[in-house]
Amino acid sequence: MKENSVEDFDSLFVKESGRRKYVILVIILSVLGLTSVYTYLSISAVRDQMNVAQDQAQGAPEINSALFTQLKEKAWLESRIKMAAGDSIGLSIDLEQRLIQLELKGVVILSSKIRDSSISGFFRKMDGNVYFAMFGTPLTIQQFKSSIAKNPFKIIQAPKDTIAAQAAIDAAIKKDSLKDENVFWNVKFDRNFEMNIQGIDSITEAQNKYKFGKGFEFARNLKNIVNSFQHILRFTKPSYTPEILISIPENEAKAILRALPNKASVTIKI
Amino acid sequence: MIRNFFIYLAVLVVGILFFASMVLFVIPAFQESTVALVGLSSGSSGSGEEGKDKASIEADISKLEKKLDSFTPTNAYIVVNTTDNHFFLYKGKKLIRDGMCSTGKNEKLISAEGENTFYTPKGVRKVLRKQPDPIWTKPDWAFKEEGLRVPSARDPSRYEKGTLGKYKLELGNGYMIHGTIYKRFMGQSVTHGCIRLLDADLEAVYKTMEVGSKVYIY
Repeated sequence: MKENSVEDFDSLFVKESGRRKYVILVIILSVLGLTSVYTYLSISAVRDQMNVAQDQAQGAPEINSALFTQLKEKAWLESRIKMAAGDSIGLSIDLEQRLIQLELKGVVILSSKIRDSSISGFFRKMDGNVYFAMFGTPLTIQQFKSSIAKNPFKIIQAPKDTIAAQAAIDAAIKKDSLKDENVFWNVKFDRNFEMNIQGIDSITEAQNKYKFGKGFEFARNLKNIVNSFQHILRFTKPSYTPEILISIPENEAKAILRALPNKASVTIKI
Repeated sequence: MIRNFFIYLAVLVVGILFFASMVLFVIPAFQESTVALVGLSSGSSGSGEEGKDKASIEADISKLEKKLDSFTPTNAYIVVNTTDNHFFLYKGKKLIRDGMCSTGKNEKLISAEGENTFYTPKGVRKVLRKQPDPIWTKPDWAFKEEGLRVPSARDPSRYEKGTLGKYKLELGNGYMIHGTIYKRFMGQSVTHGCIRLLDADLEAVYKTMEVGSKVYIY
């Protein structure tokens, strides 16, 4: 009886160990399966985006690709001249010369050296027709998101007497400066890509600091993970949005954000 | 049983972390790799420049550069940064002076009589009129803001000498470039929309800018 009980216990242990291995294997395979499905969907999304870009560039007459550099320069200048025809402040970004400029009626009113930048591989792969379809004319900003207020505006009730007026003045003076702000903003363009601009005061900061501003990166990551599950469950392709990330001095990142109108024109040379 | 539960939980957590890291780092990197990015590059390219040679495109570029250059005024103009409260005085493309200024405080003042909005409008303006020793005619909002009763239109309390400094340059719609007696606020967004300068800067701007000179505000 005693011996049997020991055997039962041993066999139970073996069975349980086998079941545990089985469950672990199922979990691992599930994770790998989900990851593979999502990878497949993500790559399909990139290719779809590239097809869209290529379709948009269809129909343009062919040219000698040896003249691409000159044509790019010409398109850049033409685009800036088109931008100058408007009454609003526009933005020109020359990633070759590492310059970002605010322009108004063709006059450069702010010029800032880009400290650090990166672009999606999508842009590195484009040339010819696709490049000109994307950057040949001014882009229009569709949406702004920023870590600081774009148009800060206070609403004040008129003071009842001179004592209240003085108190209001004192309170306004006491208000701290904007030194500790993390300046980050993101814009969506009318041509299916986004640009992120972060304010930094050194290159080390660009690489180590908040990168996408306080809270921005966490919110974005969480959204990506949640979305990935939704896409897997529905077997739909996630959207692929090529991006440009530019790091410039903090005060200039802020000044540019506040200077640009909501539907600002932007000219880019990559 | 409990031991198994923790083992499964640990494997599940590792799996979730693995999946999250794939979604956040590995798959985006993979999307950027040449495996995903195929077929966008085209051997020949087009932008309506068929038949043009290098020399003619370079001549076009030169013309376009000249055209773009012609937009910059050759006489004096001023650029005002309302975020940093800084001005830049140029003659042609040469910066001849820069310094602190004060611009609009971006406020809406609400009173029983209505609303007043205080901000420096962005865009381009021209100097419409220049005047030394200006007298400030205080508008209604100046009284409301100080918690005072608004006097009649020609009341003597409306006229103040010295408040606007030694000079004013009118930009239209009541906006001006002028001096200030509140020098401690220089560099801050405290005005009702005008651009305030320190005395020496104001003098330089007044003497350099002419009627018709452009004022670029961003």
